[in-house]
Amino acid sequence: MVRVQGRRRFLGAVGSLAATGALSGCGSVVGQALTGADGPSSLLNFWHPFTGGDGEQLVRMQSTYRRRHPATDLKSTTMVWGAPYYTKLTLATLGHRPPQVAIAHISRLPTLAASGLLRPVSRSEMDEHGLNAGHFEPAALRRARHEGEVYALPLDTHPFVLYYRTDVAEKAGLLDGEGRLTDVDGPEKFLDALRAAKEATGVWGGSVATVKDPAMCWRLWWTLYRQLGADLVRDGGRTVVMDVGAAEEALAYIRRLTAERLVPPNADGNGGAITLLTAGKAGFLMDGEWQLLAVQGALKGKFDMRTFPRIFHDAPYACAADSHAFVLPKAPSAEAQRTGRALDFVRAMLDASYDWTKGGHIPAWRPTARSAAYRRLEPQAHYADAADGAAYDPAAWYAGADSNLYRRFGDVVASVLGGHTRPGPGAARMRAAVTELARTEAPV
Amino acid sequence: MSATAVPGAGAGAGAGPPAGAGAGVGAGAGAGSRTGAGSAGRGTRTPSARGGSAHTGRWTASGMLLPFGVFYVVFLLGPLVYTAVAGFFNGSLVKGGLGDWVGTANYAQALGSDEFWSSLGHTLWFTVLTTVPLILVALALALMTDRFSRGKWFFRLAFFAPFMLPSSVISLLFMWIYADEIGLAQGVAKALGADAPPSWLGDPDWAMISIAAATVWWTVGFNFVIYLAALQEIPREVHEAAAIDGAGPWQRLRLVVVPMLGRATTLVAVLQLVASLKVFDQIYMMTGGGPDDATRPSLLYVYQTGFTDGRAGYASTVALLLFVIILLISLVWFALIRHTEKEA
Amino acid sequence: MAALTPAPAATARSTADSAPRRSPRTDSERLFNRVTLGTLLALALLWLAPLAWAVATSVRPPGELATDPTAWFSAHSTLANYREVLAAGRIPYWYVNSFVTSALTTLLTVCTASLAAFALSRLRFRHRRPVFLLILAGVMIPPQLLMVPHFLTLQVAGMLNTYWAVVLPQVPNVVAVFVFKQFFDGIPVELTDAARADGASWLRIYGQIVMPLSRPAVSAVTIFVFVWSWNNFLWPLLAVTDPQMMTLPVGLTSVQDAFGLPQAQLMASAVLGALPLLTVFLFFQRRIVEGIVGTGLK
Repeated sequence: MVRVQGRRRFLGAVGSLAATGALSGCGSVVGQALTGADGPSSLLNFWHPFTGGDGEQLVRMQSTYRRRHPATDLKSTTMVWGAPYYTKLTLATLGHRPPQVAIAHISRLPTLAASGLLRPVSRSEMDEHGLNAGHFEPAALRRARHEGEVYALPLDTHPFVLYYRTDVAEKAGLLDGEGRLTDVDGPEKFLDALRAAKEATGVWGGSVATVKDPAMCWRLWWTLYRQLGADLVRDGGRTVVMDVGAAEEALAYIRRLTAERLVPPNADGNGGAITLLTAGKAGFLMDGEWQLLAVQGALKGKFDMRTFPRIFHDAPYACAADSHAFVLPKAPSAEAQRTGRALDFVRAMLDASYDWTKGGHIPAWRPTARSAAYRRLEPQAHYADAADGAAYDPAAWYAGADSNLYRRFGDVVASVLGGHTRPGPGAARMRAAVTELARTEAPV
Repeated sequence: MSATAVPGAGAGAGAGPPAGAGAGVGAGAGAGSRTGAGSAGRGTRTPSARGGSAHTGRWTASGMLLPFGVFYVVFLLGPLVYTAVAGFFNGSLVKGGLGDWVGTANYAQALGSDEFWSSLGHTLWFTVLTTVPLILVALALALMTDRFSRGKWFFRLAFFAPFMLPSSVISLLFMWIYADEIGLAQGVAKALGADAPPSWLGDPDWAMISIAAATVWWTVGFNFVIYLAALQEIPREVHEAAAIDGAGPWQRLRLVVVPMLGRATTLVAVLQLVASLKVFDQIYMMTGGGPDDATRPSLLYVYQTGFTDGRAGYASTVALLLFVIILLISLVWFALIRHTEKEA
Repeated sequence: MAALTPAPAATARSTADSAPRRSPRTDSERLFNRVTLGTLLALALLWLAPLAWAVATSVRPPGELATDPTAWFSAHSTLANYREVLAAGRIPYWYVNSFVTSALTTLLTVCTASLAAFALSRLRFRHRRPVFLLILAGVMIPPQLLMVPHFLTLQVAGMLNTYWAVVLPQVPNVVAVFVFKQFFDGIPVELTDAARADGASWLRIYGQIVMPLSRPAVSAVTIFVFVWSWNNFLWPLLAVTDPQMMTLPVGLTSVQDAFGLPQAQLMASAVLGALPLLTVFLFFQRRIVEGIVGTGLK
């Protein structure tokens, strides 16, 4: 009996504890959750997927915002990145409780906008909040439009770039008088540079994350493919215009990297490729500029960055790139939408985007991009012009960041890189995959 | 969800239902998509000669069935019918509605797609990887534990406690244990002499095995307590008689104890099979179906097509196919077990 | 599953857990027992190791984690990770959300299922058998496969991102009906007949006679449904996307507040996520196991 009473008392204590908690702090939330009411109008929910070094920069930008806007209750949520992020954003909007403002990759924009999940921003609203179209990087803003309306406000451009160790490059005789990398543009020249770096490191010339990283595989292939001047799909993804010859040529070049033992075929995306560079086992790293803080942390001043080499000259310079942009998911009512508050927040973030560039990203906000401070920032300034050659993903419901297309094509690239598939059959597999995706009826 | 009788259910400590009817009761419900579902048990049942006094108006009965009936129709039967119908349309999640009639196009696409079959293959592979060890390990643990009268609570705590945890805790835990370079599992493998232990969740050949191992750790406690309960129902006299006949521990185990566990094994096997076929949580969280889709199970395929791609119609088709497959497999499996049980 | 075969009459052993069992007679048997005990203890430790590992990681300073990730102990144990995780201010909400949704689910399940089971057990009406079979057949429908129609239904009802979205689809629990019906069948019919003769309505008999006598069944269903609902993942993942309204299992792996090398913090939140049910389990170990397995219920 004593034990039973002890249990009862314990249960009672737990019960009253929960009740107290519910009544004091969580009461309003419980009420909201039962009735589905909107939160208070001061609340601004913001979702983003930044879990890496750029996330820490964002935290800094947000705390500045909070200090300056005490009337706004900014609730920022870091959601686990990838396709699940977009799934959640979609479900939240369909479930009538989206965040007031969220980050989206601009490559996802066509699908999100066509699905009716986003609220467009009118020109007058943009002007009202000082977000004049002229202040944005034109290439990024062009991608932010859908059927004539602006659906996204770009924060940055983040291209696929080339990192290199200055000590290895020097030893390999690849530096010019100013300590910059000499000409590595052209199919043979880049391989020669890798070969020289391999001799200097004694292990590998360069590295690229290909295992567990279909996105990186896609970026490598897409960069080369676009440099060959080829295109993939048109008409919102319904028509395939793939150039199988160019696809094969790009794959063949990728295969040479590993076949000539200049790049390891098994570096993984969880830091394995970066570690090869930072440990001095590779002189070059092909990766996104967002790894800047990770590399910087390990190598301090012993590395530099530049735009990805121009391997092929068949078309204007191109490198795989995407942009992070602010979007306003469509809320069920104007009170829940809080457009004014959201746009104020966007403006504040853009104004603070110099902090954002420290994470490696190229600002899409021209006042920042043109500032003297950014132009002096190293090594960011060394690849800033990559934004001009930004090759965005094709516009299709199955394309964009962490999409089906990434998975299908990345798989082929990894297989070719590892020598399991020859470039010809690889290109054929790509064509089959994209044809199948294009034939599938679009769900938007 | 599944309900099956458990052997056992002696009225413990004289507090059974009224009038000493001694009806043990077990509750059970499918435990989400984790492997290891619920069970229901009952024991000595008083055959209730339902009285002739129950002259009941139809309205009373309907009224009492109504609340449950509404939930049943709206959230179980109705959705199943909807799934069957929606599979013939091209409905989109974001557009809403059923969409347009497409006939059997979705079925043709699903049955002709590598992704459907490979995800089904992964589901079956996971089922094989988990069901067998979950039965054998649970049996071994229960047999060993049953030998000791004291300290049973400790073993029950150790083996059953993980089963109480949410799948997300399990996933967080094992993502850390299986982490490349810095995880415990690679550290242990290195200490045991492996030069280059595999990337447990990153290597397509290992990922499913790693997830299955975590699942066995997580859910074996459920089968363990069922076996333990069944073992306790074996009368002491049986052991004693066997011991007097000169049977050693091994012989007693093999010839006396294990054969008496047939019914518990049936229960555990069926529940396990059905639960494994519905695996989702831990794979969604630990690998997201990767690497290279090598661990994507069927339910994750339904989720991805339905909610990530927003193809509600096609996802319904896949869900219905999966429903039929689960139904068939469990029926066949059940018939097989019943058959062998009869022969034994 | 139509696996509703009657169990063999159980040979009740009066005090299953506490009575000393067969004592070892011979040396070889004693040795066998010792080997078994050793193996079992080793396995129990192996089973507890992952949980211990989570706790060990969660109290290590993150900096130390970077230099020596697989060490078990730290000279600088700290609760800082817990403070950080709790300071993010999400887990308390998730606790409350999980508690409220699980409690509502359990309440609605127990009420609706027991009422239906009572009708099936005690009332005589036309088509009773087919109705019972129809309900039982529902056990063959895995609710996970119904996620698309569930989502669409609740979207149309405007209930997504409320507690109701999480609760309602979990309510039709066929197994609960079955358990209640089994129990009610075991209650002597004389009891209800007598009340009926006194002119009590069926609803009254249900509420004042049968349910009070059925506390074992109620407690078994309550425990099972509560645990199951607390741990449910797939449906709450779809039903609730607002971080403030997520249930504990969904929130833990959807929201990531820590940056850099967050393992220590992740393990701290995993431990916090494990805590509620583990604590309850420690206190009510036997009852929970019995509720789940169905032996010797009180």
